[in-house]
Amino acid sequence: MMNAPGFAWRSLIRQPARATLGILGVAAVGALLFDMLLLSNGLVLSMRDLFTTTGFDIRVTASTSLLSTGPLIDEADEAAEQIAALSSVESVVTLRVAEALLSRLDVRDHFTSFQGAGGGGEPPWNIIRGRHARARRELVINENTVRRLTADVGDSITVRASCIEEPDAMPPLTFTVVGVADFPFDSANGTTAGVTMDALRESCGGNRDDTADLIMVSSTEGADSDAAAAEVAALRPDLFALTNDAALGVLQRGSFSYFTQISAVLVTVTLTFAVLLITVLLTVSVNQRLGEIAALRALGFSRRRVIADVVCQSAFIVGLGGVLSLPLGALLALWLDQILKQIPGVPADVHFFIYQQSAFTTHATLMVITALVSALYPMRVVSTLPIATTLRNEVLG
Amino acid sequence: MRALSLLAVAVFTAVLAVAIPSAQIAPVPDILVSRQLAESAGLEPGQIVRLSASGEAANASTFRVAAVYEPTPDPMQLGNVRREVRLHLPDLLQFTRATDVPVGAETVTAVNVALADPAEARTFAADVTARMPGVIARSAEGGGRSNAPFVVLERFHLAIALITIIAATVFLLALTIMLVDERRETVGVLRLIGLPIRRILTQVLLEGLLIASVGALFGLGLALASEDLINWFFQRRYDTALIFVNITPGVAATCVAIAVPLGATATVAASWALLRRNGLRLARR
Repeated sequence: MMNAPGFAWRSLIRQPARATLGILGVAAVGALLFDMLLLSNGLVLSMRDLFTTTGFDIRVTASTSLLSTGPLIDEADEAAEQIAALSSVESVVTLRVAEALLSRLDVRDHFTSFQGAGGGGEPPWNIIRGRHARARRELVINENTVRRLTADVGDSITVRASCIEEPDAMPPLTFTVVGVADFPFDSANGTTAGVTMDALRESCGGNRDDTADLIMVSSTEGADSDAAAAEVAALRPDLFALTNDAALGVLQRGSFSYFTQISAVLVTVTLTFAVLLITVLLTVSVNQRLGEIAALRALGFSRRRVIADVVCQSAFIVGLGGVLSLPLGALLALWLDQILKQIPGVPADVHFFIYQQSAFTTHATLMVITALVSALYPMRVVSTLPIATTLRNEVLG
Repeated sequence: MRALSLLAVAVFTAVLAVAIPSAQIAPVPDILVSRQLAESAGLEPGQIVRLSASGEAANASTFRVAAVYEPTPDPMQLGNVRREVRLHLPDLLQFTRATDVPVGAETVTAVNVALADPAEARTFAADVTARMPGVIARSAEGGGRSNAPFVVLERFHLAIALITIIAATVFLLALTIMLVDERRETVGVLRLIGLPIRRILTQVLLEGLLIASVGALFGLGLALASEDLINWFFQRRYDTALIFVNITPGVAATCVAIAVPLGATATVAASWALLRRNGLRLARR
């Protein structure tokens, strides 16, 4: 006697159109499910990578708000010096983010993120060509600025800085481009220019002098980030020292939580949808084969055996659909990621969908549960099937 | 750009003292307090509070809570708890003016300008920027930008809806194939007694339309029933009055316009393959 999986497989391929459509349906739903699982934690993982690439593991701010959204740190230079003197601290960089109108020759003005870095450590951007800005009239720009202003290393750019919360404008200053850099939090189309902190303060005309949005701290090799952050917090209780993980926690509880919530809602809806549809598919299929199942029971197939047949059919449809859903989900994730990355201000290097082993495991577990739950009702139908009555009805029909 | 005409918005670091009996003191300036701040600080209309821009009690000024207001929902502030106080602009300037700044020399963050012809906003902004060094003028337009955050999120949700429709269509096709297959014998008999294919197809189409319409209406009912639940959940989660799900007549019409033809087409497409077969073959089964 053929075993249950073999029998279920033959039952499926006997109706190739409906089996294929069922598998494709599960693949589409499974792909969406997979993507929602990737989305639930993807942004946090991606942001963690980005934080790590900057080389700093502690962020000191004046409030729990992250960069550019909270109050400025007053007397930032003094704070940076105090923090740099701690034994657990390797290097310190103060960062101030303003805006500026950049123009060059007849190229029209461009609003640009205008960043100043001070405090002694290397600025948190990577030089692609040229070098870091060191003098007061030197600046580095990102590739988008190079394209928009058709400027490169050695060219002069006019900068009108805007350094308080709402637009103001300082008299224009001319800077020389000394490098082209990759700024870690640049958006895909964002333009950014970086200068020394002194240059930024001069450009701001004294507005908010000796202030910084952020002090980035790198702890010494082998030192525990949490311990170093605690040391900074103890030194300056008026400031907030957050390790990268703590900063991610703030983001996760704040603006990132929308994606966690929406993915949870969509996972629930997707699974309900899948269970309902597969249940209907299997039930209709079983109802069409009631006579056949009753005949098999009469021939000696046990109740358990026909139930196993239904479970195996469900497992084949969900299993094959689930396997197909993984590459489909990966392709879909690329498309959805492209859409979401159009949100203004999202760093170019951040992705919303990041592959995680846990997402894969959860996906597989949920698919197994879906297969079992979907098979429950059809299993009940075949297990309670009255053999004699069904055969009689079949013959009379 | 924020509106600063009659009222100014200030978010302060601390509300220092609350509930000085109002009968004991002279009239004080009125303020409005956001619901979130009122809830967290236990404020009620009529109470006297002391505010300090610096967080130090020595620099505090006294105000009367005139009313508690619900902040205008702002998608850009999702996740932020809106602890805000609104003051009349002269009160705000008086309250925040540094000791070395003479009266009348205070600064405001922005001036809103309503143009006689809004179409000239860009030209006007460029003109002001050119004529007034130290001032930047920007057109206030931007709500409809193609990359505004919630426009992008709408695109994302549309993409999700599209995938759901594709999955539903595939399942629908599978189901209709099975249902049509179940009626193979009936269709065979109808063919044998002389009903033309067109007539049977019309019947199938009408049946498909009926089922799809009932299904679409049921789906809309389900969406309407869950609308309040979803809004309640997210509004509680983010402490906001933002509306997350809003089933407008346009949205409902779009759903019906997609679901009904899709359902009817799937039924006809599934039946078509069956109807092309010989009647005898169908009836013999």
